[in-house]
Amino acid sequence: MAFDKMELKDIEVWDGNFAAAQAMRQCQIDVVAAYPITPSTPIVEGYAKFLADGYVEGEFVMVESEHAAMSGCIGAAAAGGRVATATSSQGFALMVETLYQASGMRLPIVLNVVNRALAAPLNVNGDHSDMYLGRDSGWIQFDAYCPQDAYDLNFIAFKVSEDHDVRLPCMVHQDGFITSHTAQGVHTLSDDVAYSFVGDFKPMNDMLDFEHPVTHGVQTEEDWHFEHKARQHNDLMTKVMPKIQTAFDDFEKLSGRKYNIVETYDMDDADVCVVCMGTSVETAREVATEMRKEGIKAGVVGIRVIRPFPFFEIAKALKNVKAIAALDRSSPNGTAGMLFNEIAGSLYNTEKRALLSGYVYGLGGRDLTKAHLVALFKELQANVDAGKVTTQLQQFIGVRGPKLAYL
Amino acid sequence: MAKKGWDEFEIGAMLRTFDGKIDDIAGTQQEDRAYSENSSYTASVADWRLIKPIFNKDYCIDCQFCWIYCPDVSIIARDKKLIGVDMDHCKGCGICVEVCPTNPKSLLMFPEQADEETEIASWPKKDEEEA
Amino acid sequence: MSEMKKIKNLKEFSTSADRFEGANLLCPGCAHSIIVREVLNATNDDLILSASTGCLEVCTAVYPYTSWDASWIHIGFENGSTAVAGAESMYKALKNKGRLKQPERNPKFVSFAGDGASYDIGFQWISGCMERGHNIMHVVLDNEVYANTGGQRSSSTPIGSSATTSPAGRVSYGEKKNKKDMVSIMAAHGIPYSAQVAPNKWKDMVKKIQHGFSVDGPVFINAVSPCTTEWKFDPKDTMYITDLSTDSLVFPLYEIIDGHELNITYRPKNVVPVEEYLAAQGRFKHLFKDEYKYLIKEWQERVDSNWAYLQRREESRV
Repeated sequence: MAFDKMELKDIEVWDGNFAAAQAMRQCQIDVVAAYPITPSTPIVEGYAKFLADGYVEGEFVMVESEHAAMSGCIGAAAAGGRVATATSSQGFALMVETLYQASGMRLPIVLNVVNRALAAPLNVNGDHSDMYLGRDSGWIQFDAYCPQDAYDLNFIAFKVSEDHDVRLPCMVHQDGFITSHTAQGVHTLSDDVAYSFVGDFKPMNDMLDFEHPVTHGVQTEEDWHFEHKARQHNDLMTKVMPKIQTAFDDFEKLSGRKYNIVETYDMDDADVCVVCMGTSVETAREVATEMRKEGIKAGVVGIRVIRPFPFFEIAKALKNVKAIAALDRSSPNGTAGMLFNEIAGSLYNTEKRALLSGYVYGLGGRDLTKAHLVALFKELQANVDAGKVTTQLQQFIGVRGPKLAYL
Repeated sequence: MAKKGWDEFEIGAMLRTFDGKIDDIAGTQQEDRAYSENSSYTASVADWRLIKPIFNKDYCIDCQFCWIYCPDVSIIARDKKLIGVDMDHCKGCGICVEVCPTNPKSLLMFPEQADEETEIASWPKKDEEEA
Repeated sequence: MSEMKKIKNLKEFSTSADRFEGANLLCPGCAHSIIVREVLNATNDDLILSASTGCLEVCTAVYPYTSWDASWIHIGFENGSTAVAGAESMYKALKNKGRLKQPERNPKFVSFAGDGASYDIGFQWISGCMERGHNIMHVVLDNEVYANTGGQRSSSTPIGSSATTSPAGRVSYGEKKNKKDMVSIMAAHGIPYSAQVAPNKWKDMVKKIQHGFSVDGPVFINAVSPCTTEWKFDPKDTMYITDLSTDSLVFPLYEIIDGHELNITYRPKNVVPVEEYLAAQGRFKHLFKDEYKYLIKEWQERVDSNWAYLQRREESRV
């Protein structure tokens, strides 16, 4: 059996889903076990069509649930080869048990997560509830802001995840519909260049090496479990970021496109800034530029690597601002937002702690408009002028009804 | 196995059964395999036993019922002959004695501290009634 | 296809080099490992194995020990079948791409799971594996109860059995529902082979396992696995209880080929009354009270009727 290469234009008009599917094709994955769910379905469909047209050589297993999809991926990864899948929302939630098992068994798997709200009430549109649900699962998490990122980060994900010093599964997040279904110009890599960046899969502890049988998925109780979990945490804390940085550097050399662990925009002299993820980063950048014309020195920090969390990198990026807004696109359900808490943790022991306030926005695909961000930057400037946070620490923006604010 | 620190073992709690390479497992008997310290073959459950089987080869017909029905891979058969019981892995369930068809039986259960030579010397005679 | 291992008789079988090790933590007298040994020893080919969470899994891979001499994986309670199906898919992929390290080998892919992990929580995963046609064998170690967690009822627990979540009591005779017919359900997927086996009938078992390994596609095997702890009998009596289970026809041994052709593979010379099977186990002890004796009669009628049904299926050759 063989497969055909595909001729791509230098710039293709792709949505985020198709960009991810193309990247998966170019990585020459051995096994994809998948189950369709809105809005990630077109990734799986796109991959299936590549297979049907002879552009893919691996096995494509359409299973009966997302839990089974990740279970099949785990079995395939343990057997020893390149593995990936895609999901969203409820499917991601159904997968959660197996996410912990994949990372605990130190298996490299790439999961494209097209972010979507979690029921109830049921909703098919984009927010970050599923992304947040995965943040303690021991996976590396990258965040794409546009189809180009979704394409590029897939290559970087395979490169980092399969590194023998890492061997941890990796998610590539993109916003449901706004990224996944919005076609934009995507600069492509040729099939050969893309594959050469990712490289051949190098097996490790592979079940299919019959001369070296392995046991995967053991039981550990109180006398061993803590050590294994500590090992996994240690590797996430110490080994992953340098590998990501190297992959970013190598990718820049190859493509000219530069990714950073924390993406800063106009932060050199900013007084106020927004920290956010996903498509909101691009909107915030546009508004920040406009705010400068109004005399507010605004900047934007985008989180590119969610896990491991860039604890020091974010503190460095925020060290000179006076007021920060942490934007969380997931209902914290009884506490401050995740980004608010993470940033507070990063800054708490630094000398110069900026004023920090949190905003919850965009649940279930509600738009974050430029008007929202204009008001938000002005609020931050008011905090700077007053020398204190003038609002409550957590505010909901873009929701109908009486103003919601807490803390 | 000694309890190791968090930085002293394989990632993913992965275990290897053998040290180095094994070529033909199905064609290699246990005594010829290089088990790693992680194979339970190197461990013992002898302390589970309250009673133990003693094998008297004088009556054995090598039917191998005890071999097939032993849950603990503890009946050692080589070249179609029963050659003994693996006392590190035997848990003393007594199935081997129950399935032994000879008269008298070739395997009988005794208290753990019983002496093998003494018990074989005073082995029960053929049970005429059963015969 | 590799050559089938020749096993004419038990003496010849006993020359097998086991790929399952002792000093596992299964109870003394546990039938699980007897079944596992008979399955693994039925072939000389390489094996890729999985186990779903359950007695077999928690007793054979407790860090830092493994009792498995072939590559083995456990993920969770419900997905052992899919784990091995994933590995089988990777094998196919690497074979097509010419990347297998030992391309001349013919591995067999086997998933072991209890009745809880097969009849209940893993049902959907197994069904998916059967429907998709993976080249795998799923073996149920059917002890009719969640033994690993202390004896809760599963959908395999038979009527009248006292389980910890369907206990017999002052006003209850225990489990109220009839056992699920998994072999038929799996056969209905149109898979090439499904069968019920018992470890006492080792020759029948080995023949079925070897047939299962020889067909192309998924295979489902239901193995009766008497549980000394939860069925409440002396560990030495495991094979005696297994004999009663097959000879009373409570566990008839049969196979279903291509989803429809049923063959009975064992006809006891002397059929044992079901009462004898029930009387030998503590889990049915309460049925021998006067007020519940009607249940024993009903048990016998149910077993007789099922046996008649199997014979009709066999005769009709449909």
